[in-house]
Amino acid sequence: MSDETTSEAIERALAAYVVLEELGEQIEDEWSYVAELTDAWRTRFDEVAAHRGDGELADEVSAAVDVAIDEIARIEDPHRAIDWLSTFPQVVLLALGERP
Amino acid sequence: MRFQDAARDARAVVYAGIQADPQVRRTATLLADASPSQRILARAVMNGETSDPEIWRAMFPTLFGPDATDDAAGLHRSEAILAASLEVADRGEQVRSQVRGALVEELTAQLLARRVDAAAVHRERRVLFDGVRAEIHPYDVTVEREGAAEAYDCKWGARGINADVLHQLDDARAHAADEEEALEVALVVFDARRSCDVRLARQTAPHEGTSLVTIETLDSLAASRSAAPS
Repeated sequence: MSDETTSEAIERALAAYVVLEELGEQIEDEWSYVAELTDAWRTRFDEVAAHRGDGELADEVSAAVDVAIDEIARIEDPHRAIDWLSTFPQVVLLALGERP
Repeated sequence: MRFQDAARDARAVVYAGIQADPQVRRTATLLADASPSQRILARAVMNGETSDPEIWRAMFPTLFGPDATDDAAGLHRSEAILAASLEVADRGEQVRSQVRGALVEELTAQLLARRVDAAAVHRERRVLFDGVRAEIHPYDVTVEREGAAEAYDCKWGARGINADVLHQLDDARAHAADEEEALEVALVVFDARRSCDVRLARQTAPHEGTSLVTIETLDSLAASRSAAPS
């Protein structure tokens, strides 16, 4: 097992998600959509953290969150950032063994 | 109500070449039998930046991790989807975008052909009604059956949901009803329901009569109508 709990992994994911959100917000026409989309996915992350936040993660799950965070850190195009504002939460939740 | 091939303008000719790309059919065939998790893998890779398959395997432990080795067939399919998705991602940005759109259409058509006679499933068709000016844009996929027609618009992501698409689908449904014809209309989006709901909530265009099929519910296209999404 890793030393990381589900809540800690979600906290790391959400910190990276904020940076992605800021990139997506550069598309002015989509600013409010980006805000509502990220709110919706944060709500889902919060549900998972509240339900099983103290649980320790297997090494491969913690590593999966690492590489997902690395992947969104590579994104420079704000349009692609908006795509990943939906994709990233699905990937992380799946790695955590949760339904997106 | 009647169906007609779309006009073959320059855009349609170029896009037809994308639709006919063997990579599109091959990848759609893999995704037609994929699990929801494998479809999310495909979405991520085709949206992704990195081309290193090891990174993607690490990102999806439920598909490639220690527990996945118990399901040899599932692991084999995950590997095939990863390879096919990386091929799509390797195309230039514009072509990648077109391939992804064509892929959702082909996947929709393949799944529908599991429920209805494949000969009834058509692509790029207009729906015509008496006394109504025809829409310029064709429907991506149609099922053309007496008394049980269907029209689909397909999108790669939730962001593709917009007023024009919703109006076009709802107008067709309403005009069919005016002619006392049955026409089910739906939007197929290769994205999460949660993201689609956020996008739809922002739309003022009518969509109460339009079904939504998302990455979680794609298999409903192949299921009997009693099991189809509302």
